[in-house]
Amino acid sequence: MHSNKYITVYTVAMTLIVSVVLAIIVTGLRPAHEANEAVFKKRDILSAIKNELPVDLESISDQEVLSLFNERIEQVTLDANGQPVEGVKAETIDMAKEEKKPEAERLYPMYIYKGEKSTFYLVSVRGNGLWDKIWGTIALQDDFNTIAGVSFDHVTETAGLGAEIKDSPAFKQQFVGKKIYNDENEFVSVAVVKGGIKKPEHQVDAIAGATITSNGVTEMMENGLEVYLPYFESKKNK
Amino acid sequence: MAEVETKVAQEKEPLFGKKERQLIIDPLNDNNPITVQVLGICSALAVTTLVKPAIIMALSATFVIAFANLTISLLRKGIPKQIRMIVQLVVIAFLVTVVEQVLKAANYPIWKQLSVYIGLIITNCIVMGRLEAFAMANKPWRSFLDGLGNGAGYGIILIIVAAARELFGKGSLMGFNIIGNSSQYLIDTTTNSFFSWYMPNNVMVLPAAALFVIGVIIWVQRARNQKLIDVS
Amino acid sequence: MGDLLNIFLKSVFIENMVLAYFLGMCSFLAVSKSVKTAVGLGAAVIFVLTLTVPINWVINEMVLGPNGIFKTDLTFLRFILFIATIAASVQLVEMVVEKFSPALYSALGIFLPLITVNCAILGGALFMVAREYDFAEATTFGFGSGVGFFIAIVVMAAIREKIRYSAVPAPLRGLGIAFILTGLMGMAFMSLMGINPANYMN
Repeated sequence: MHSNKYITVYTVAMTLIVSVVLAIIVTGLRPAHEANEAVFKKRDILSAIKNELPVDLESISDQEVLSLFNERIEQVTLDANGQPVEGVKAETIDMAKEEKKPEAERLYPMYIYKGEKSTFYLVSVRGNGLWDKIWGTIALQDDFNTIAGVSFDHVTETAGLGAEIKDSPAFKQQFVGKKIYNDENEFVSVAVVKGGIKKPEHQVDAIAGATITSNGVTEMMENGLEVYLPYFESKKNK
Repeated sequence: MAEVETKVAQEKEPLFGKKERQLIIDPLNDNNPITVQVLGICSALAVTTLVKPAIIMALSATFVIAFANLTISLLRKGIPKQIRMIVQLVVIAFLVTVVEQVLKAANYPIWKQLSVYIGLIITNCIVMGRLEAFAMANKPWRSFLDGLGNGAGYGIILIIVAAARELFGKGSLMGFNIIGNSSQYLIDTTTNSFFSWYMPNNVMVLPAAALFVIGVIIWVQRARNQKLIDVS
Repeated sequence: MGDLLNIFLKSVFIENMVLAYFLGMCSFLAVSKSVKTAVGLGAAVIFVLTLTVPINWVINEMVLGPNGIFKTDLTFLRFILFIATIAASVQLVEMVVEKFSPALYSALGIFLPLITVNCAILGGALFMVAREYDFAEATTFGFGSGVGFFIAIVVMAAIREKIRYSAVPAPLRGLGIAFILTGLMGMAFMSLMGINPANYMN
């Protein structure tokens, strides 16, 4: 049996050693963490238009992702009324944090990709899946109507069902070429529907067995794109 | 992976007598931590939809088990009895934090994918179980080997389960397309081909499938090795 | 109030710790051989989860977070502090119960040390952080997850008591069939997912 004094000294010493060593390791690795996080986010944004990129996104290095992003992308930050805001870089906006703010104070990121032939407008959307949050990037062509590509991600949708919104290339491919405005020039968004598409311009097929996640995507697209509409209108009129 | 370790073990004869070799080989089959000792199942289920994260998880867990065993074995004479559990847990949690931080710096996408499950290595009962049952009573080198063996035994099951689930659920292995409904796959199952009867089995991707696969592994293992059969 | 009820129902049935996330499987399988011991472990888990999730919430907010007492981001110490809190509170509970209620101690006592290394307890704390609950939500979530574990383990024990009389192939007896049963239960519980209790209120 050890004395109480021994135990106290032992505990204090152990706590000190462990926290100091961990603090050193974490401080050393933090720059790498931050760099990784930035690359991860940029790769994710670019993946919405991966068919339009001059390179294969999956095979290029982190460094190339950064230079591609910096060269080709112009960042715009919008306020809740769709007006550009100065002084805030779009890539620093964390949609999860914006969601917690009152609606009128939220900021929305917009990435304008200037390719050799065409320009794409990439916007971020966020909503609810079955278990937790889902989010994504929607790329529009410069008519502000035709979708050029999408990418989705999620916290923890069911693997094989809801998670297919991220994992299935076929699901995402369906969105390409869909229109977010109808012929009367009203905003209708693009819906994910079960059991047969009736309006091929505005609907895509749902994932079997993942109704809630699919509905979540529909809702997210509608609410998410809506905030960007004033900006689209102002650009279109120019 | 496990075979590689045992080969290395055989080369350095003086450090690896028969007993030492047994420490590594036993947990691979007869005394497997998952299928025989029934420890550390939580993470076996959650991270086994794809092979790649399963391998990373297996390596992380092996690292933690081996080094926790080593550390506790080195400290075993000085640890006050009353706070033994807490000391063990702090050592484990420390090692897990190191693994998590290194993984976050080395491979961010995998880190994101494994998320809370890396943290749950702390409560993986294999680690605590080995510390209590082995490291507290054995010399450092043998404890370290015991950790490696148990880590490998755990990893082998993890990888078998993941391989079965990825192959039958997604039709791929390690991300290579093996069997599926397009020409990108090695075995093409589009309507006109010979394999058109095959459909990827989506059930395998669901969490419950991991339990079925482990159940079947246990069945096979016990059918071959009758002495493991549960008599109760 | 509706939100809390929602979180409670979700954590009990829909996002059940054992059957939806497969956490706490070790003790779930080891202690589900008879209903009596299963009730004991289940009760102990409810108790410990209801206690430790809020405590860990306080630690996460007040000590580790950037707004805590140290004003810096200490989240890398999260694992260590969480597990230490869990171990310490389990030990404390054990001592208190032993002193004041020997009857309860003889019923729960042997399960308490087991609980420290139950993934469901640490998992509860980590999920609570990942989902950004506030204090009341975290407490409800802890209690609900405990109840979910209780239901799962008692049901499982009842099935295993019956299955002893069935003609299960010898190599599958015991552990093997328990795995497959849990899988089937998990799939049954999956049919509850997607039900959002909030839709049925008001």
